Amino acid sequence: METTLLITSMLLTLTVILSPMLLPLLSETFKNSPTTITHAIKTAFFCSLVPMTLFIHSNTNVIVSYWEWKLAPNFKIPLSFKIDQYSMMFFPIALFVTWSILQFATWYMATEPYTTKFFSYLLMFLIAMLTLIIANNMFLLFIGWEGVGIMSFLLIGWWQGRAEANTAALQAVLYNRIGDIGLILSMAWLALTLNTWELQQASSPTQIHTLPLLGLILAAMGKSAQFGLHPWLPAAMEGPTPVSALLHSSTMVVAGIFLLIRTHHMLASNQTALTLCLCLGALSTLFAATCALTQNDIKKIIAFSTSSQLGLMMVTIGLNLPQLTFLHISTHAFFKAMLFLCSGSIIHNLSGEQDIRKMGNLQKMLPTTTSCLTIGNLALMGTPFLAGFYSKDLIIEHLNTSYLNTWALLLTLLATSFTATYTLRMTLLVQTGFTRTPATTSTNESNPTITNPIIRLALGSILAGLLITSYITPSKTPPMTMPTITKTAAIIITILGIIMALELSTLTHTMTSPKQNIYLNFSSTLGYFNPLTHRFFPTKLLSNGQKIASHLIDLSWYKKMGPEGLADLQTMVAKTSTTIHSGLIKTYLGTFALSILTILSTQI
Amino acid sequence: SELSKDLMPGPYPRTPEERAAAAKKYNMRVEDYEPYPDDGFGYGDYPKLPDKSFHERDPWYQWDQPDVRHNWGEPMHWDFDMYIRNRVDTSPTPVPWHTMRKHFLIFLSTMLIMFGLGEIYPSYRPVGPKQYPFNDLYLERGGDPNKEPPVVTHYEI
Repeated sequence: METTLLITSMLLTLTVILSPMLLPLLSETFKNSPTTITHAIKTAFFCSLVPMTLFIHSNTNVIVSYWEWKLAPNFKIPLSFKIDQYSMMFFPIALFVTWSILQFATWYMATEPYTTKFFSYLLMFLIAMLTLIIANNMFLLFIGWEGVGIMSFLLIGWWQGRAEANTAALQAVLYNRIGDIGLILSMAWLALTLNTWELQQASSPTQIHTLPLLGLILAAMGKSAQFGLHPWLPAAMEGPTPVSALLHSSTMVVAGIFLLIRTHHMLASNQTALTLCLCLGALSTLFAATCALTQNDIKKIIAFSTSSQLGLMMVTIGLNLPQLTFLHISTHAFFKAMLFLCSGSIIHNLSGEQDIRKMGNLQKMLPTTTSCLTIGNLALMGTPFLAGFYSKDLIIEHLNTSYLNTWALLLTLLATSFTATYTLRMTLLVQTGFTRTPATTSTNESNPTITNPIIRLALGSILAGLLITSYITPSKTPPMTMPTITKTAAIIITILGIIMALELSTLTHTMTSPKQNIYLNFSSTLGYFNPLTHRFFPTKLLSNGQKIASHLIDLSWYKKMGPEGLADLQTMVAKTSTTIHSGLIKTYLGTFALSILTILSTQI
Repeated sequence: SELSKDLMPGPYPRTPEERAAAAKKYNMRVEDYEPYPDDGFGYGDYPKLPDKSFHERDPWYQWDQPDVRHNWGEPMHWDFDMYIRNRVDTSPTPVPWHTMRKHFLIFLSTMLIMFGLGEIYPSYRPVGPKQYPFNDLYLERGGDPNKEPPVVTHYEI
């Protein structure tokens, strides 16, 4: 009975989300507008609270299967939805965050032409993302996966007249495509060996071969910007701020991690794959935190912070803790989206200024926005009892008490302290100190369209951790006993990072400007990864491709396979047979003898 | 309609007059004109322009086509589709190339070596073998009750 109600309310939510797409097709007078889409998502959020409450009450996992696509006589792909803890918790969170972002975007994109097209793109992205979340088989997941990739391309390159935005969108698509190789590899392996794409059938009693798991990890690397396939995430900041808030902080970039959560039963038995996840995540989180230390663009700092937290999520997957990873995804969505919205409000109020060296003393000019920025930064640092604490502190406790790679542990702890450092640097430069903005900027945040979403997300980032942990029972027992220093490790490291940031800020106020040194150059140019890869590989690929396509193929088909080749063959034959046609008696006698010997040898 | 025969690219220029004619055809000065070497790859008399991408051209100059930073009639590079602003950037980097490569490889190799070391020496909570009471459970494990049980020393952690 409750199951039926659960499924029905779930389908109702999905229908409400699809309605702005379908209603203009059915009615002649209905026109979409930003406000209708925002209201639709708001309704969908309230609808999605029903299945979430029902699920928490009944704790029944449901797989709903409709229809079937009979691809081959033995291989059927149903349209199946999985209603379990992850999808039921993620729906309200994603819809809440999207509602706030869409409400903010009605103000942010007000001066744009084609706002309705922008909102429709965001809605299509949300539909693809929710398809990914609720998918029970790899096929539906792949549809959602590709959908979010394409919408990311369209949304990053929203201002398509700008060459940097086009380059960034292209980067996003190409890096995601490299990850898709891994996903398709694992899908092919699953179809060949287990003859199914359903996730619940993919757990076999024996160990899963490492190859599909490597494919899944490559897919997560591409989509969630782990080290090696990471440059697209900071470049994606070329898109408008609502796009950065929705896609590249809360929802799309967690799709890779979500894939690993969905398939964790395959990963759980393979220690190699888990160690790979752990080391990759640790490297990503430290690399991103190092790069964030020297950035001057507010959006880039938050982008690297996202990249670092994604690395932390990958570390948690490597510790075989999918539920804790999901908790971190949920809490991270709130405060990261809020950080982006606050930065968007700051940018618009300063008429497009994004450089934190040109901001200061905004605490007095934009009190609500900067207070919420502070709350978001505190949550990001893992301040006790805000949202980030529940997930981040637990992750670090698990790290300290598990059997794992020592270097991964050290890197993650170092990255946690760097998180505190760059967050505090951003806060100090943006909100405190003397004003470095031009004197004639008029700042105005009296519009409730700005303040309401930000305050809503601030409430979420304060309460979300507490609410989620109170109502969801953990599937694995958390470590209960540990020495005090292990228990307080996260706090101590964060405080060390804060002290470091305060020390450095007093240094910058009292000493001269920093000269270039090795570490500053490495950090501010993002580890030289971008120039090294983006110049070397495309040059080689494109020029070799051009050479093969035009020179080699032309040379071979038009020349060697055609007239010139024929001519070469003819000349070779002519040259070899010239000796026989020279007119010397010796050659004639020789050929006579050879032919008589051949005939005689065949007769004997 | 198409270009006339004398405006299309032609064979490799051998005499100075052919070079001058080719330079005029491609709208270049004779001093600047340098064809690709004649090694059978089919470049013909197409000029060999310096391998510089459009990122390096002045963003503030009033180009005829500002988005590609190109003027009308200017000869295009053979690989021009590689050098547009969405693709390869050949502008000079603040740090020289070999320094960048060296620093990045040092970083990457340090990380990989340390990860390897971390695998050999992992971190874990201190553990010890389990200690059982009653002389290591001598009687429960089927020991002879008449004989003297072996002495077992326990340690307190």
